[in-house]
Amino acid sequence: MSDFVAVANCSEVADPGSMLVEVDDRLVVLIHAAGHYYALDDVCTHDGGPLSDGPVNATEGTIACPRHGAKFDVKSGAAVTMPATKATVAHEVKVEGEQVFVRLSNA
Amino acid sequence: MSATLTKTGFTQDAFDAFMSTRNEPAWLSDLRRDSWSRFTEMAMPSSRDEEWMRTDIRLFKLDKYSLAADAVEVSLPQALLATGVELGGRGVSIDSRSVESQLSEKWSSRGVLFGSLDTMLVEHGDLLRPYLERHLVSPSYDKIAALNAACWSGGNLLFVPKGVRVDEPLHSLSVMSDGGTDLGKTLVVLEEGAEATLLSETASSEPDGGGLHCGSIELIVERGARLRYVNLQNWGSGVWHFAHQMAHVGANANLQWTIGALGSRLAKVNQHVALIGQDAEAQVNGVMFTQGKQHLCYNTYQHHQAEYCQSDLLYKAALQDQSRTVWRGMIKVDEGAQRTNAYQRNDNLMLSTTARADSIPGLEIEADDVRCTHGSTSGRVDDHQLFYAMTRGYTRKEAVRMIVSGFFQQVFDRITIESVREALGEAIGRRVRDIEE
Repeated sequence: MSDFVAVANCSEVADPGSMLVEVDDRLVVLIHAAGHYYALDDVCTHDGGPLSDGPVNATEGTIACPRHGAKFDVKSGAAVTMPATKATVAHEVKVEGEQVFVRLSNA
Repeated sequence: MSATLTKTGFTQDAFDAFMSTRNEPAWLSDLRRDSWSRFTEMAMPSSRDEEWMRTDIRLFKLDKYSLAADAVEVSLPQALLATGVELGGRGVSIDSRSVESQLSEKWSSRGVLFGSLDTMLVEHGDLLRPYLERHLVSPSYDKIAALNAACWSGGNLLFVPKGVRVDEPLHSLSVMSDGGTDLGKTLVVLEEGAEATLLSETASSEPDGGGLHCGSIELIVERGARLRYVNLQNWGSGVWHFAHQMAHVGANANLQWTIGALGSRLAKVNQHVALIGQDAEAQVNGVMFTQGKQHLCYNTYQHHQAEYCQSDLLYKAALQDQSRTVWRGMIKVDEGAQRTNAYQRNDNLMLSTTARADSIPGLEIEADDVRCTHGSTSGRVDDHQLFYAMTRGYTRKEAVRMIVSGFFQQVFDRITIESVREALGEAIGRRVRDIEE
């Protein structure tokens, strides 16, 4: 298991909103929704679109791919609407003070 | 060209310093400066561009690499394609700098030129100028093409005069040091009725080495000429590989172009064959094997511009681990290219459930008397084949390797050079592990 890496200050990500960050040579979308932070691989499993360019729905707890509208659960990365059928990878997040940290999943 | 560069990065200062080291004719300097201005004006490609939608290069940092680093000494990897072959000439470069070049007197005495392109330009600038000014690879195409057009160095040249038939293969090996940059350019010109075989391979000094390759290949096969060109890409697993490759095949000429794509972290290659004279023929073979998190994207384009031409493309890929391939193929037939016969096919063998192959064939036909067909298949190893092989005494690993080898046999059968078939077969055999459920 990798270590937690500081990726952003809390004030840098609007709620609802998202931010693209690089963690150990991997692109991750950091999501702020309903007061909580989440991190997913920044890739739609349908055709590789960048989730960080898509809208966050705090009520649903989803982020949508800007290309074809596939939605992913911000917590688990599960695909919740077509055309995506496979989950994107979810990473562990913690907040300490004003700093947001991400630890990459092994997947 | 012997001065040492100390400037790094792709900045104006670095480009100016690079130009000050070049001992080149003014017309070439003008071409470079024009391309440099295009490079500075254009944005890097992004996933918003149709061609790049499936190839994410946001982790690629151009400013991590040098425009031209100082010469380094590395141990040379084994040249896979040259094993057991009687060569007519060979060349070796490290980070785009030629370190070895030789051509048999038998061929040099008949006017054949083979060696480093920038060295050859010093002596044969007037001969080569028209070919470079043709810009088969347009520097306006994208920022990557512009960068290569402005800053290429080293490179390979093969020039075969009219009617000369070179019956011994020529071989070039381009090596990249870990973290190095290769901005090579290959120019092959076969004049009318000439024949030649060029085996070209790229490799890193370390199997897991990183670096940047931004290259171009231009093949000019004139009337009645025959070229067999093999390009094996075997960069280290950390290399970013970007290339524009273009061939012009003249009337009654024949091109057999084989690509082996095994290495690199991410590859984005545009391979374009234009049949520009009546009765021209091109056969394009692609062999790809990916593993780990490799991403190889090949865009192929068969452009029929004249009547009665034939093109036949077959790309086969096997994927394991979490790797990914993208193949986008297009057959374009111009309005006047009647009686065209064109075919393209891409087959993918999935060795794991987490690999992904995108296969996108396409046709754009403006003539009304043509035969154009295409096909694509993607599938897993048949469990029954695996079971049957194991009942005959093979281990599971042997059985998988045999099935993968059989998958590629169709394309190997089209490759007429034995050393190439063997090198590709062995390289793939070493990589195959098992099928991941």
